[in-house]
Amino acid sequence: MDLLQIFRKTLTAGALLVFGTVISFSQNNNGGTLSGNLEANGNFFIRDSLIGAANTPQYDRQLYGADAWLNLSYNNWGFDFGLRFDLFNNSNLLNPTGSFTGEGIGRWYVHKKVDKFDISVGYLYDQIGSGIIFRAFEQRPLLIDNALYGARLAYDLGENWQIKGFTGRQKQQFDIYEPVIKGGAIDGYLSFGEEGRFWAMAPGLGVVNRTLDDPSMNSIVATVNTYTAEDAFVPVYNTYAFSAYNTLSAGPWTWYVEAAYKTDDNLSDPFGEFVLSDSSVVVGDKLYKAPGTVFYSSLSYAKSGLGISVEGKRTENFDFRVRPQEQLNRGLVNFLPPMARVNTYRMTARYNAATQFLGEMAVQADIRYNYKRKFGVNVNVSNITDLDNNLLYRELYTELTYKYKRTWQFLAGLQIQRYNQEVFEFKPDAPIVETVTPYFDILYKFSRRKSIRFEGQYMIAGKDDKGEGHDYGSWLFGLVEFSIAPSWTFTVSDMYNIDPGKASPIDDSGEKAALHYPRFDVFYTHGANRFSLSYIKQVEGVVCTGGICRLEPAFSGVRFTVNSSF
Amino acid sequence: MKRLSTLLAIVVLSFGCEEIPPVITPVMQVESICDEPAPITDQQRQVLVEEFTGVRCVNCPAGSAALEELIGQHGDQLVAVSIHAGSFAPPYPESFDTLRTAKGEEILSFVGEPLGYPTAVVNRKKFPGGFNLQLPRNGWPGAIEQELQEDPRVLIDIKNNYDEATRELETCVTLQMMDDLSVEESVFLTVMLIENNVVDLQLTPESSEPDPNYVHKHVFRDVLTSAAGNLIQDEVTAGSFVQQSFAITLKEKYKADDCSIIAFVHLGGDTKVVLQAEKEGW
Repeated sequence: MDLLQIFRKTLTAGALLVFGTVISFSQNNNGGTLSGNLEANGNFFIRDSLIGAANTPQYDRQLYGADAWLNLSYNNWGFDFGLRFDLFNNSNLLNPTGSFTGEGIGRWYVHKKVDKFDISVGYLYDQIGSGIIFRAFEQRPLLIDNALYGARLAYDLGENWQIKGFTGRQKQQFDIYEPVIKGGAIDGYLSFGEEGRFWAMAPGLGVVNRTLDDPSMNSIVATVNTYTAEDAFVPVYNTYAFSAYNTLSAGPWTWYVEAAYKTDDNLSDPFGEFVLSDSSVVVGDKLYKAPGTVFYSSLSYAKSGLGISVEGKRTENFDFRVRPQEQLNRGLVNFLPPMARVNTYRMTARYNAATQFLGEMAVQADIRYNYKRKFGVNVNVSNITDLDNNLLYRELYTELTYKYKRTWQFLAGLQIQRYNQEVFEFKPDAPIVETVTPYFDILYKFSRRKSIRFEGQYMIAGKDDKGEGHDYGSWLFGLVEFSIAPSWTFTVSDMYNIDPGKASPIDDSGEKAALHYPRFDVFYTHGANRFSLSYIKQVEGVVCTGGICRLEPAFSGVRFTVNSSF
Repeated sequence: MKRLSTLLAIVVLSFGCEEIPPVITPVMQVESICDEPAPITDQQRQVLVEEFTGVRCVNCPAGSAALEELIGQHGDQLVAVSIHAGSFAPPYPESFDTLRTAKGEEILSFVGEPLGYPTAVVNRKKFPGGFNLQLPRNGWPGAIEQELQEDPRVLIDIKNNYDEATRELETCVTLQMMDDLSVEESVFLTVMLIENNVVDLQLTPESSEPDPNYVHKHVFRDVLTSAAGNLIQDEVTAGSFVQQSFAITLKEKYKADDCSIIAFVHLGGDTKVVLQAEKEGW
């Protein structure tokens, strides 16, 4: 164990001690408030090699995996203290095909407001503007925890202006990345006019710097030294990202605009081309150096039942990471807003557009209208291409809702998608997946407490040149949900691969199998506690939160979850 | 409610008991075929690279190509083995042979699963910034270069004796300690059989169908010790020699001329660091 680790362990133990003392003190004093929440998941893995739920440590030998987070926060004397215990036992959350075991203090922080100063130290979550140049955040479903382990100081420059600065290093599970991240921002708020003719703006400016550590740089240098003279470049230690943003609101209108620029950075292109000594070409991760830009704007209008929003984003070379060696969802310093509708139904959410950091041109428009709370309509269109105008994703989504008396709710619509599987999932030569998905959702309330809900979706997939359905082909999905408020919910659903496609599994007979993927859930809510027990068979697919996606392998097994606040 | 939970418990228990057990290979008592140990000369630091790959891994050929370039650069100082294991390793129904092995899977779980492929472990060492021992392709050259800076703490000599008629291979591995290794918690020796230039299916970025003519380099075939290595129980002070003999019958499908033996010495306990590696054909 090196000195640094000893120091960190001492510090965490110290934090625990302080926390323990504070709690016991507060109990004596009856001052302050202690609150917390617990999230725990347990998975029992049941091997099913036909659907691909196999060949991971959990299916082969571990059979069980769990993850849990216990979050505590305590406020007293103008201080905020926080402490979080994280636990992973044979967990597949970090790496869906691997197993991760580790437990310890996942987060602690101390926050105090002293007059105009605002001081925080520990593991901090924060962002600048919409996050395009900096965002430290947590996404548990993908086990992203980009907390900045460091210090943040903010100062109020008058009533509506605030300036902040921070410095630290990014968390890596129970470890810390070496490179240092620091930055600052100034945010303001200006309002004009009086009642009725009121308008306001919230401008801001931000800057972030990342300095590479020596071992990371040595590793980059060694890699670049294997490149030909044409491909080689001189890597940089320091990269700066700047951003200017503003929100303008006037009556029903809101207009957000942000422009960001990043100086030369060492980037990694997963589709880089190498010319080998025998003059053959291979494609793979290749380092290069380039400055980057992002332009993002959204305009929305909302008034009496009508809501319209239009968004556009252009991204070029804006992968901003702790170090370029980090891949997939790891070591992200920033966050680029997603530009497609966040769908929730099982089939409409099957194909998602993952945000492209190196090059993307995206537009989205969304219109919603509600008539007397009885009829509603929602239309969403999005179009995402790369910078050479190759299609990555296109979606048309429509939804109609109708409420009849107080007992019936009807919802129906149609989704049409184009999805570039080759780019999003690194599947060579995969054609653009085309889908047409009609769907409905009907809710009937028997009484004030009892209700039943039916969902149905039929995803019709396009066919390739050989007549095979794209990806897994066509799907039929049905769900029945029965609720007894406020405690119980039971659901039964099945996803049926009605017309298997190219990627569908082949059974013993050598034919593509039309498989069922059933799922049963029981949810029980008691006060602020929620429990669920599910039996799941789930096909492999892309799972996304906020445009950050990853390929999840098939799941077969039983899942138990607890969510509790106190 | 009670009945329901009992029923659910039965369902869970009845499903969740099937496990794939580990492979047990008791120590084979092989008659020593070693000659008196002679001092090993002209051996520099030699670094072990364990590439983890799979026939269904579309990005792995690019990784393998990068590894070949590195071998071209470092020559004998780089000892490479490509282990087919992990989520991309299950063979295609049309595959000529199964490159995946249970022992390879055991080695993968011993060194830890990667976050993505292509991936390799360099001298079983955790490098700064890395999550575990696995390194993405961009990390290999730097790690290899760093490891080459150090002096070897042990030298390795392999003598192979192959009988073409019986396909029996006898191997004598001689270790010469250059440093006092008795200060270490434990020292292990691992001996592997690899086969070069195996032609079999591999998914490549060029096509959605696997390439049947792909040439797989230095494919891991078997391990003559246990997968996690054999504990060395002899004296390992500076200047001492340790000799161990092994025997294996090559399967018919292996091309004997393309096979070689890899031996490496590594530590046990907290670290799994490899001290020196050596490769020898016959």
